[in-house]
Amino acid sequence: MRIASVSFRYGRRDPWVLSDADLVLDPGDVAEVAGPNGTGKSTLLRLAAGLLRPVRGRVEDRPRVVGYAPERFPADQPFTVAAYLRHMAAVRRVAQDAIGHWSERLGMDHLLGRDLPDLSKGSAHKVGLAQALLAEPGLLVLDEPFAGLDAATRAELPRIIAEISARGGIVVVSDHQGDLRDFPGLRRFEVRDRAVRELEPVEKAGEAPLTVLEVAVPAVRAAELADRLRAEGCTVRVTARVAREAAE
Amino acid sequence: MTPVIALTRFRVAGYVASHRALQPLLALLALLAILYAGAVPAGQEIAATADSAAMLVPVLAWAARGLLDTEPDEQRAVALSALGGREPVSGLLAAFASLLVLAAIAEAALLARLAGSPTLGVLLTGVWLHLLSVAAGLVLGALTSRPILRSPAVSTMALIFGYLWMLALSFAGARWLTVPVMAWMRDAHHGVLLEQPLLLTAQSLLWPAIGLAAYGWLRRTRP
Repeated sequence: MRIASVSFRYGRRDPWVLSDADLVLDPGDVAEVAGPNGTGKSTLLRLAAGLLRPVRGRVEDRPRVVGYAPERFPADQPFTVAAYLRHMAAVRRVAQDAIGHWSERLGMDHLLGRDLPDLSKGSAHKVGLAQALLAEPGLLVLDEPFAGLDAATRAELPRIIAEISARGGIVVVSDHQGDLRDFPGLRRFEVRDRAVRELEPVEKAGEAPLTVLEVAVPAVRAAELADRLRAEGCTVRVTARVAREAAE
Repeated sequence: MTPVIALTRFRVAGYVASHRALQPLLALLALLAILYAGAVPAGQEIAATADSAAMLVPVLAWAARGLLDTEPDEQRAVALSALGGREPVSGLLAAFASLLVLAAIAEAALLARLAGSPTLGVLLTGVWLHLLSVAAGLVLGALTSRPILRSPAVSTMALIFGYLWMLALSFAGARWLTVPVMAWMRDAHHGVLLEQPLLLTAQSLLWPAIGLAAYGWLRRTRP
């Protein structure tokens, strides 16, 4: 699959979000898209999934079956989880058994009878993941899939991604929290300044010695700097200290 | 069941369960109560049918817009990921199905209020005119739905003025420049509605067809 010289903006008067962006993904690739907030990660994911049409350039050889899980699952719908997934299985033309399979793997069997609007953020997020996985997608696009998930599902999701990759599927994930950082063969991309560039693979601990830096930064810039360092492949832990202490 | 039909069913189910379907239904019932406060006298059946079809257009447009806007934007994105370019088709089919129900209620109310027994001609004319009304309402609703017009205020104004524009242009006698809703009523009251039914059908479907094409084209860049 190839994103070829893609430029995109939301309206004629809006600024370009992406300009001449290129990205080539091969069958089995798992790609993590990083970058500061508001730089166009979700836009890139939506272009990859075919939800947005490039203003210039094109997306070529997109796999036929696409699964997309949005960052915020739209839980404000008048269905139970089971009814919603039954409808989505029918839309995807997959057997209803798939619902049980994915509910079990994502640890959400107990939610099937619940109404969507009553779900917590994490539970709703699981429904979003389940509908994207139902159809055994050749391209799976996950926007911040780890946000709000419980520990068991956080551990299961990389295994699911590995299975899709093993059968030749492409997985594109935007991930702020670095949950896929240790994923074998992970390709990492950064969206910045309207361009997409591939980052070096993360070096495994043991391959190169690690050191710990202590950085003092104004609190308002902390999140941005943390994102930037994570995009560079660093492990970042933000601790809340008063500025004076940190400076000392 | 094809994916498009499955998604159509999902949308209709969501629309009905969300109770948004009640709003245009109540508006329709109010309109019918006004239209048929008294029985339709013998000889006025076709004229009453044309009045019903013409006045129904804004209610049907409102219903179509309501159905298309019931779904959250992200759910539409999920549907788009599953169906690609066929996603808007399922929305239009779901809206069309819901409008058929409303038009059938209007037609049934008309038949129930006729002073005499309806003839086959009256029945068929009712079905024909109400289908033309459904086509006009569907397109006006689709073109004012959220993917096309983001602002609810702009969308509501566009729907109202769209219908008024239809009335004004057709009142002025411009049969090819809009859906000639005034011509339906005028011809029916003058007893000439059924003289050239094919011509009137073509005139009434031309703009809905152009509107549907425009909707499809706009949705390419407005998911």
